[in-house]
Amino acid sequence: MRTTIPIIVAFLSGLVLALAPFFREDNWFGGLKQELTEWLIIVGGFTLLLGVVSITRVNWTAVTRRKEGWGYKVLTLVAVFAMAIPSVLSPEWSTLFGRADGSIYDWLFVNLQSPMMATMFATLAFYIASAAYRAFRARSVEATILLITATLVMLWRVPMGEWILERLPGDIPYLLNTYIMGGANMAVQRGIIIGAALGAASMSLRIILGIERTYMGKG
Amino acid sequence: MGFWQKLEQMDRRWIYLMVAIAVIVPFIVPADLPISITPEAQMVFDAVEAVPDGSTVFVVFDYYPSTIAECEPMARTALRHFFRKNCKVITLSNIPLGGPSMAEAVSRSVAEEFGKEYGVDFVNLGYKYGYVAVMTGMGTSIESIFPTDNSGTPLSELPLMSKVTNYKDISFIFEVADNSTADYWVSIVNAQYGVPMVCGTTAVGAPKYYAFVAARQFLGLLGGMKGAAEYEILIGHKDDAVKGMGAQSLVHLLIIALVILGNLGYFLGGTGRREKLG
Repeated sequence: MRTTIPIIVAFLSGLVLALAPFFREDNWFGGLKQELTEWLIIVGGFTLLLGVVSITRVNWTAVTRRKEGWGYKVLTLVAVFAMAIPSVLSPEWSTLFGRADGSIYDWLFVNLQSPMMATMFATLAFYIASAAYRAFRARSVEATILLITATLVMLWRVPMGEWILERLPGDIPYLLNTYIMGGANMAVQRGIIIGAALGAASMSLRIILGIERTYMGKG
Repeated sequence: MGFWQKLEQMDRRWIYLMVAIAVIVPFIVPADLPISITPEAQMVFDAVEAVPDGSTVFVVFDYYPSTIAECEPMARTALRHFFRKNCKVITLSNIPLGGPSMAEAVSRSVAEEFGKEYGVDFVNLGYKYGYVAVMTGMGTSIESIFPTDNSGTPLSELPLMSKVTNYKDISFIFEVADNSTADYWVSIVNAQYGVPMVCGTTAVGAPKYYAFVAARQFLGLLGGMKGAAEYEILIGHKDDAVKGMGAQSLVHLLIIALVILGNLGYFLGGTGRREKLG
């Protein structure tokens, strides 16, 4: 029963959503599709709640057992609740609640979360520079082709580099855009996109037909 | 130890210092760099220009705060472009982590420049879980997916939303993304509902979308901060992306110089020769 019911739900839901584009939206079938879509969003909302419960349980256990790095886990818990609780409370009670300008959530987001995330991402520039210096070697013909192409594209994507390229013979920026980005790159990307789409379609079909059951924790 | 060997084993902290200088100096000593316009950015500008004045459009904030430097200038410039054409703008986000807040902050600040009123000229729908369901559901009814805006006001109380039911009332979509949600806007909203759209994305993400531009599913593409700078120039309002071009130029040139130096050290310092000898 624990397997059969989820398979029936997946089959019926998948079937309705797969067939929906072939029916008009203003008839009963379109209404059923819309109903299912709304349910999907509601059920999905609960998975976010599940995420909060899970992160709390895992971190709280580590804190109570004084596991290595438990201090950081306290910080995680404080951060989760400091952001979550004021944001879900009604702004009618206080302007500090909710997510509008001047709320606790907004202050934490603008002054802490956003700069921290941007800093983490910006740190990549330092690692990329260091990694490029140490690892980007012309060890083989393929590596040399990749190195030359990457160098030219990097030059092309910034004004100073473009200025340099424009002083070289031939219209290199045009050639890069046409033959590298719009040629070789696009051909590869098309292959990846079509391959991934076929994979997704086949996986969806396997789930709808009940062949793929790993989402239920079964092999 | 010879010069090339020393160079090959240079402490990475020197590299970090060089990157820091290359990033900071251009902001202290700004230079007016010539920025050429790529065909894809010109296509974005032309596509937005072709939207009839006063139309209702979507500007989608599908990026995380980590890529603000690249994506926010695109979103900001798109809003300026639409407001200049007196378009009604609906913003939304498929990113739970800050998407709705960024949409709220950016749209309100740009709207202030143009004296636009919330609820009449622009609305922020915020975020709902499950972007595939959200995109599909809005094809039938936007209100059934977003019963309220980001602040909790029912859509029925917002004058702008009284004229909007589903994608049939949306003339154009400007998607700003740093992730694969752009793929779904193409495959669900453009392919199934025929809404014209353009995309602004990070420099890392842009190569993937050339295929969609060639297929005319995206009517144009902005790639990274350079793409944003091109768009700022095209609408005649230079802002953060143009300012960032100096730092980005120097860092790119520095990385290229380091790659060349690293290879010289590798071959002349003996490591390359030793590897070849086995």
